[in-house]
Amino acid sequence: MIENDVTKTFFASAIDGRVDEIKRISLDILNHPESGYREYRTSKLVADWFRTNGFHVQANIAKTGLVATLDTGKTGPHVAILGELDALVVPRHLYANLETGAAHACGHHAQIGSMLTAAVGILDESVNKTLTGKISFMATPAEEYIELEYRQTLVDNGEIEFFGGKQEFIKRGFFDDVNIAMLTHTGGETPGTLGIGGSNNGMVGKTIRFRGKAAHAGGSPHLGINSLNAAHIALAAIHAQRETFRDSDTVRVHPIITKGGSAVNSVPSDVRLETYVRASNVPAILQTSQKVDRAFRAGALATGATVQITTNPGYLPAKYDDLLTELYRHNAASLIGDDNIIRLNHGTGCTDMGDVSQIVAAIQPSANATSGDAHGIDYVVDNYDLAITKAGKAMGMTVIDLLSKNGEKGKNIFGSFHAPMTIDEYLRRMRSFRSNSTYED
Amino acid sequence: MNVSNLPELRSIAMQTIDESSGSLVDAAKCVYATPETGFNERKTSHFVQKQLEALGLFVETGIAITGMKAVIKGNNPGPTIGVIAELDALRVPSHPGADDTSGAAHACGHHIQIGALLGVATALVNPILKESLSGNVALILAPAEEFIDIEDRLTKRDNDEIEFLSGKQEMIRLGTFDEVDMAMMVHSSTGYGKAYFSVGGTTNAHVTHQVRYMGKSAHAGGFPYMGINALQAAMLANTAINTQRETFMESQVGRVHGIISNGGTSVNAVPDQVLYEGRIRAGTVDALHSIEEKVIRCYKAGALAMGASVKVGSVAGYHPLTQNTMMEKLFIENAKRIFGQNSIVIEPPDQNYGGSTDMGDLSKIMPVIHPYTRTASGIGHGEDYLIQDYSRAVVSSAKVMASTVLALLIDNAHKAKEITSQFNPDLTPAQYVKSQRERFTTTTYRPE
Repeated sequence: MIENDVTKTFFASAIDGRVDEIKRISLDILNHPESGYREYRTSKLVADWFRTNGFHVQANIAKTGLVATLDTGKTGPHVAILGELDALVVPRHLYANLETGAAHACGHHAQIGSMLTAAVGILDESVNKTLTGKISFMATPAEEYIELEYRQTLVDNGEIEFFGGKQEFIKRGFFDDVNIAMLTHTGGETPGTLGIGGSNNGMVGKTIRFRGKAAHAGGSPHLGINSLNAAHIALAAIHAQRETFRDSDTVRVHPIITKGGSAVNSVPSDVRLETYVRASNVPAILQTSQKVDRAFRAGALATGATVQITTNPGYLPAKYDDLLTELYRHNAASLIGDDNIIRLNHGTGCTDMGDVSQIVAAIQPSANATSGDAHGIDYVVDNYDLAITKAGKAMGMTVIDLLSKNGEKGKNIFGSFHAPMTIDEYLRRMRSFRSNSTYED
Repeated sequence: MNVSNLPELRSIAMQTIDESSGSLVDAAKCVYATPETGFNERKTSHFVQKQLEALGLFVETGIAITGMKAVIKGNNPGPTIGVIAELDALRVPSHPGADDTSGAAHACGHHIQIGALLGVATALVNPILKESLSGNVALILAPAEEFIDIEDRLTKRDNDEIEFLSGKQEMIRLGTFDEVDMAMMVHSSTGYGKAYFSVGGTTNAHVTHQVRYMGKSAHAGGFPYMGINALQAAMLANTAINTQRETFMESQVGRVHGIISNGGTSVNAVPDQVLYEGRIRAGTVDALHSIEEKVIRCYKAGALAMGASVKVGSVAGYHPLTQNTMMEKLFIENAKRIFGQNSIVIEPPDQNYGGSTDMGDLSKIMPVIHPYTRTASGIGHGEDYLIQDYSRAVVSSAKVMASTVLALLIDNAHKAKEITSQFNPDLTPAQYVKSQRERFTTTTYRPE
């Protein structure tokens, strides 16, 4: 016996009539990929759709974000369904923008589809008249933590404070009265399944700049200070720390050299790197961050160079709510069968849903509807029925359960959710990650 | 002034050496058969003492543990010429002549120096020669020229058995060279061929570091995250040092080479104590300091990266060798006279051989020469370094040194006096001892 089955029947039939329309929007986004804080076209497409469907839309939040809210007019919990607007930059991806290299190699275009699917169903009057509280559809920018230099210019211009879109939403108060949040990500595990539960690493991001002394690399190397050697030593030193990483902390440190010298016949004086420091918990992130800083300083010390280390807040570890997961599991199983529901493991990547999960009860199920490697050139959604329609229905049906009957289930879930931090605490903590120091012997 | 007949005296000396050539070579081979490392050359020392005493000489023993000195006094007063031989062997366990227990081996040919010194002694104890000499010959058997077994020697230093870590350094400190005006020795080298000898060139200054990394031990499988790995710190330092090599100028002849003498105690524990012995060499003291500064920075970087601490103990090493050109000229003349025009190769004074010797230290306070007898095959300090021609190594070296001494001390020692009068020492023995003492330092670096 399915709970609220009459409402859910109305909900499903409202969606079934508009499946192609929603898919077209997802494909439109797939074919016009835009990276974070640049999703102008995508944002307009989604905002226009909500407006056409009678929603009140707040647009241009943190440049490209938008929120469309359906208020039932009755007091009750506030549930948010999210979809991410941004693409990655993977120039050789099948659907990459030839000019910018942007590509939906992480399937975010399908998230928008599942979010709109849920919206279509809830928009049905026979559905929303049974609900209390509010439902907000949030299209958020910049989930991928990339193009740090560009985002730093936005920070410098005062356009944003944080590199992640949901972080900006939190800061700008859009989660102030939200109680529950959900988003369906695509995934590549057992095809045809929906993954539930799981968790994700958190992270900080670093930009590193070694300054040495240029000199003719052939004629007078003894007059130079080689910043590339400093970086080389630092990377070796980072690797030497790895045995001190605890398995349970799932630490990831993976630097890249963004500038490794200017001319091969000149001793490199300006060498720059970027790295993430990821771990499953904040103490481990902070401890590893210290070790990484120590390694960069050692590179400078050994060569006589100086090093400037800038640390930016990244994402917080994600921990998804058990009660909400269980409610979602019921609804998902009613759509695709118990056998097609799998439990997700801890993910060592990061998402700004992690930040959301620290302040409200949240889930991020996975629609296993893709082939290829995530963030790779061949990552494509090949099961849109699951990624958009089934995923959207499962979320919408969960919302129906949360907000029907005076929002009893919703109240129960957010009532028993113990937020690790308040929004104020969240903002303080994120700002405390920020540091910029220059080290010279 | 008593003008002697030098050619006649020389031929007496040459004849004496020829007559004893068999026993001189046997003596060298006997020393080869009992290799002992520096400050441990007890058997070698005792053997040489007996040989010298058999020539009627009084031998002062126990100088710097195993060193000795015997003086042949000329009948007339004058300068004292030091003739030096080094007692010690290296430690090369794979060398065919290695001692089974200690691994000591004469892989640097010091044993032939002893044969040559005994040859000089045998020739010059002759009363006919002594009658014409204005001055003396100090036969000096120096321990521990190879700068090895640092930990062991530092223990001897802690026990007040020695203060400096090499034989000639100690002998300078103890005053063994106070009455000596100039010194010579002949070292063996490879390049066996037409030329018997080479002269000239220089050697590197050096310093040794005892670099002790201190981390924190922990079960390497169970709790590696609780440990601080001192071995990783040392290895990072080594990597860092290697990146510095591009900043060494060829003209500095910089050499940096270390060994890890304690790299951990058990493989299932995170190493918390690691000892890295570093050696830095360069052609000048300034270059040595410049490279040393970079290397110390790298030691610290290893500690900083791992959160370990590091204690760097500096051990005073050797000075660059400066050879006296007037003494060289006499040595060359005598070699050519005895063995022909092509018997000697002359290297420019700035030809740096890369290695180091404590004859360098002596060269800062008195005129010295350190020629080579080209008599060995293989690689110096290698397992295949063997003397090919003992007659050349021992007998020829003895002949040229003996005739050079004669040339210095006959005719009122006017040659020797000319050399000493024109020599400007870089350091007095007292200044040398003071500056060497100051080179022993210990600094600890603890990253915050």
